[in-house]
Amino acid sequence: MFRGEPDEMSGSEILLTLLGSEIRGDLLVLFHKNPGLIDTVDAIARRIGRTTVTVISELRELLELGVLRQKRIGASEVVFLDRAKDRELLESVANHLKTIRIGGEK
Amino acid sequence: MTAPRSKTGASAFDLFSSKVEEGLRVKTGIVELDEMLRGGFMPGDAVMLAGSAGTGKTTLALQYLVSGVKLGEPGVYVTFEELPDQIYRDAKNFGWDLRKMEEQDKFRVICTSPNLVLESGDGSLLDDVLHDIQPRRLVIDSLSHLEMFVKKDDMRMEAYRVIRYLKTRGISSVLLWESPQISGASFSVTDVGLSFLVDCIVALKPVEIESSMRKALVVLKMRGSDHDKRLREYEITSAGIKIESAFSNYEGIISGSPRKVASEKFMEMFRGASEKQKKA
Repeated sequence: MFRGEPDEMSGSEILLTLLGSEIRGDLLVLFHKNPGLIDTVDAIARRIGRTTVTVISELRELLELGVLRQKRIGASEVVFLDRAKDRELLESVANHLKTIRIGGEK
Repeated sequence: MTAPRSKTGASAFDLFSSKVEEGLRVKTGIVELDEMLRGGFMPGDAVMLAGSAGTGKTTLALQYLVSGVKLGEPGVYVTFEELPDQIYRDAKNFGWDLRKMEEQDKFRVICTSPNLVLESGDGSLLDDVLHDIQPRRLVIDSLSHLEMFVKKDDMRMEAYRVIRYLKTRGISSVLLWESPQISGASFSVTDVGLSFLVDCIVALKPVEIESSMRKALVVLKMRGSDHDKRLREYEITSAGIKIESAFSNYEGIISGSPRKVASEKFMEMFRGASEKQKKA
C-alpha cells in the first residue's frame, strides 16, 4: 500500500493504516484503553494474546504513522503511545468521517 | 491552629496531638490517617504500604494520589500488574475519575514491566512523565514485583536506587509491598531488609476477631516524627478507606492471636453477673 509521510496523509489514509489489520486494531484498542502502557514488543504481544512475530510488523506500521513511539531503556526497546500525536490523528480521522457523512447526506 | 477532627478519632488525636505541622506535611486525604501521622507523611519521604491481598493497598494508594491532585500536587501511579483500564474502572467506583485527571495533565497511570524499571538505571523510563506533569507524588504497585527479577541479595540495592531516584527529585513516594503476613514481636514486614530503607511503614492486616474478619491499620515506623502507635480498625467504603477507632479492647492482634484485655474480660463477667441477678 502506498503511503506518504504521516504529516501529509489524508484522513482516509490514516484510517486505512490504523485499521489495516485485526492485530493493528487490537494494538490500538490496547493503547487507547491503557495510554500509560510502556513495554517491550514481547510484553505487548503477550498483553493482546499474540506472539512477537505476528505483532512486530503491525507495531512498525503504527510507529511509522507516529501514533506510537519507541525508546531504549537499558538493553530493551520499549514502545508507548504518543498522546499528542494520537489526538492529532484522531482529529484528522474524525474530520474525514464528518466529510463522508456530509457527502452521503447529499 | 485548629487540628482536623473526625468523629471516630477525635479522642485519640487529642491524646497524642503534640504538634501538627500542617502545610509541611503530605496529606493522605484520609483525615484519621493524617491525624495518626500528625498531619500527614513527611515531604519527600519514601513510605512503604505493606499488606496482604485484599487489604486495600491499591485503594489507599489511589486515595493518596487523588487527594494530592485535589491539593494541586500531580501524581503518578506505576503499576506492574493491573492494566490502567482496570485501575480507571476500579477508581471510578470510589468516585475518582482518573481519566479526567489525566486529560488535565494532573495524573498518569504508567503500566510497565518490573525488569524495565531495573534496566532503567538512568531513570529514562519515567523521564517523559516526570517532564510532562511534574509529579509531587508517586506510587509503585508493587515493589514486591521487582523481587521476581533480581537476586534476593540485590533487592535491597535496587530498591535503594529507586527510592533515591525519587527522593532526588523531591517526589513523595508510596511503595506497595505484598506481605503475606505481618506478625510477631519484631514486626518483620519484608525479608529482604527494605524496612530500613524506607522512612515510614504503614501496615494493613486482616484480623480474625470472634469469628469475623476485620481490618487493622498501624503506623509501624515514621522517621523524624511522632505518630499514633495504636492499631486502628478500618473499612473500605464506597468513598475509599475509612479509619475507625482503635482496637482498644484487644491485645495480641499483630501476633495473630487476638484476645480481650483483662479489664474487658472482667467487665463482661460483671455485666453477665448483674444480668443474672436482675433475672433472678
